[in-house]
Amino acid sequence: MNEITRNQLAAMLLITDAFALFCFTGSISLITAVGLTAGVFLQMLMAVPLIRLGGISEKPAYIFYLIYLIMWGGLLFGMQWKTSRHIYIPYENSGGIWGKLLISGLIAVVCLYISSAGIKAMGRASLIAAFIGAVCLLTAAVSGLIHLDPENLVRARSGRSLLEELTTGFALSGGTGSFAILLGITKGSSSKNAAVYFIGKAALTATVTLTSVIVAGGIMEITDFPVVTAAQVSQPFPSQRIDSLFLIVFAIFAVFSIAVQAALSAYILGELMPKFVRFRSSVSLLLMIGAAFLLWKVPLNSVVIGIGSLAALFAVPLIVMIFNGICARKGRT
Amino acid sequence: MDKIQIIPDLKQNLEKIKELSGNSSDILINEFVTGGINCALLCCEGMVSTSVITELVLEPVTNIPQQRNVRELFQYIQEKLLLSTDRPTAEDYTAMFRLLHSGFAVLLGDGTGKALAFGVQGYATRGIQEPSGEGNIMGAHEGFTETVRTNMSLLRRRLKTPQLVMELFVKGEKSKTDLCLCYMKDRVPDNLMKKIRSSLDRIRLETILSTGYICPFVESDQFELFSSTGTTERPDVLCSKLIEGRVALLVDGVPFAIVIPRLFCESFQTLDDYAFKPYYATFIRWIKYGAFVMSVLLPAVYAAIVMYHPELLNSTLLMLLAESEKKAPLSIITETMGVLLMYEVIREAGIRLPKPVGGAVSIVSGLIIGDAAVNSGLISTPLLTITALAVISGFVVPELNPPVTILRFAFLAAGGFLGLFGISLLACAVLINICATEDYGFPYTAPLSPFAKKGMEDTAVRSGIRKMQSRGFTVEEYHE
Repeated sequence: MNEITRNQLAAMLLITDAFALFCFTGSISLITAVGLTAGVFLQMLMAVPLIRLGGISEKPAYIFYLIYLIMWGGLLFGMQWKTSRHIYIPYENSGGIWGKLLISGLIAVVCLYISSAGIKAMGRASLIAAFIGAVCLLTAAVSGLIHLDPENLVRARSGRSLLEELTTGFALSGGTGSFAILLGITKGSSSKNAAVYFIGKAALTATVTLTSVIVAGGIMEITDFPVVTAAQVSQPFPSQRIDSLFLIVFAIFAVFSIAVQAALSAYILGELMPKFVRFRSSVSLLLMIGAAFLLWKVPLNSVVIGIGSLAALFAVPLIVMIFNGICARKGRT
Repeated sequence: MDKIQIIPDLKQNLEKIKELSGNSSDILINEFVTGGINCALLCCEGMVSTSVITELVLEPVTNIPQQRNVRELFQYIQEKLLLSTDRPTAEDYTAMFRLLHSGFAVLLGDGTGKALAFGVQGYATRGIQEPSGEGNIMGAHEGFTETVRTNMSLLRRRLKTPQLVMELFVKGEKSKTDLCLCYMKDRVPDNLMKKIRSSLDRIRLETILSTGYICPFVESDQFELFSSTGTTERPDVLCSKLIEGRVALLVDGVPFAIVIPRLFCESFQTLDDYAFKPYYATFIRWIKYGAFVMSVLLPAVYAAIVMYHPELLNSTLLMLLAESEKKAPLSIITETMGVLLMYEVIREAGIRLPKPVGGAVSIVSGLIIGDAAVNSGLISTPLLTITALAVISGFVVPELNPPVTILRFAFLAAGGFLGLFGISLLACAVLINICATEDYGFPYTAPLSPFAKKGMEDTAVRSGIRKMQSRGFTVEEYHE
């Protein structure tokens, strides 16, 4: 049995959430920061059935989560393709479509290698990757604070209400599918595990969104990817730029977030079809690439994805809980 | 040689021995009569001490009073004569030859299928010397030697406790090499010992000439960049590992011990760390971490920054690099690859050549090639500096040198073709490989990941000995 620790669970999920934030399109305002952070706490409340279940391990529910993970993995893969345009990757800009294919192909190969190493190894690696990412993000945040322009806080407008931002928060929380599966294979109390993750997520969301508003608030309206722009604009030194460092974080987080979905899909495939031993990760990744084509035009913060996340976090676990309760009652009578 | 029972008739027995040994010149057979029984004393030339065999075996054995039969004679020798402390017996030729070839004197008698052996080893061995590869300032200056029994005594001298168990056994179909499994029986779980023993049972080698022959059997079958078993040539280091609940394997003929399991962080720990003040030891440890990262990544990052991310440099440094690279005829990646390859060639030549010539190689490479290459403009000075820094940093953690060398080239290729993005992708692959390295349930990356706060006391920093004393650490804490 693959068993991961609380910190590893949080690291794997926070990397996915951070990558979703990097790929966030549209404007970010103070309301976005509040809405997304409040949304995290709302998600925490909605995760109660899942926490009581201690993770998903029922085969019918697995089918839903398999589809969900493949779709979310595909979305992330597509977002990586779209966002990487805005980050300077050698060969990509000069190589045209072939350069893009090469980059995506390399990411897919590394994802395949990572996901085939298993959840345990990935959990350990995610912890280290998350630490590196946190250091880089904190550097960006601190350098953003150095050049703090308080006017940006009011200048930045997203054009969405608090309720809409809450929905956006759900849409950006595709990691809820992974959370439902990983919770079942994490050591320790489910409630503590969930609390660590959600508190970490709230801190991450608040830090990234507020830094983006502070740094890129003035140019938010002309920005496609506000978090990427904020990382590029925030510079701690006067005579040298550090935005290439964001490239490192972007690459690492892209690879790990897709690999987490692939590894978990492979894990579910194994649970559903125990005889299917080899090439599970390859099949998962191929399905994700297919899903990326299918969901090409779906934006990351769409309502459909929000509903999917809500189902993965709340609806499906609730149904499973009710069904288990009925079964238990029948068994007793 | 299947287990053939020893022939009781002495003449036929000696004929059989000659036949089985191919009449090998180093097998010496001395026939004599003692106690009225025809006997023969066999030994292997050069493997026994002449003075010991004469004084302790030949003299007493030839002065035995009349006996009724060979059985009584052997009983007399075993019960009344204390010829040596190590007195095994053999009843088949396989066991007899193993003893003979291990430096035992073997006594055969007419009318018995049993052979008595006496430990009179006296072969030439290297004395205990300072370890060549694990330099130490404050600790002991003793290193393991090629003789397994000497190495066992070096351990016993430092751990005078009955909890230290040393199990001798033989492996290698032809070499019959003595191996010794060492562990503290109160610190190592039985389950782990069972697993290690079952791994060792899979050894079907003809010979065991170095630790490298054994390591693959105690490591995972997966492709691992870094070895999850360590080696040490220092008995004091091995003792500290044993105390921490690790298992060691001594191999006869090899002055290194295998340590199971090995963690990544251990490569950065030396015995000197515990001799200095904690603040200095912590500083040195971070120097080593930095050196490791530099040795792997510095040439790659240099190539990536200069080729694709010049904005990371400040203007002065950028101008300086641009100026020097402008004169170099080759591309940065070719230049770096070339310099690194040249270094590897010189290093290999320095190791393999006799010492006096090795010195000449250093002079030729360092002064002539290096100086001439820079002066002629073939290589830029910053690049040579970067490469030299990376290579020297690699020496700080010599144990990791093989994977570091390969990774340096791989990262250089990744950085040269795809800049920091390529380095990041490769770093992810390497990271997962390191994190997947696990033997007998001990993750190689512990205590970093899975994170163990207590483990950081001897990883991120080096806490005081008093604090560590109360902790009572064993590696079992990291078992998953």
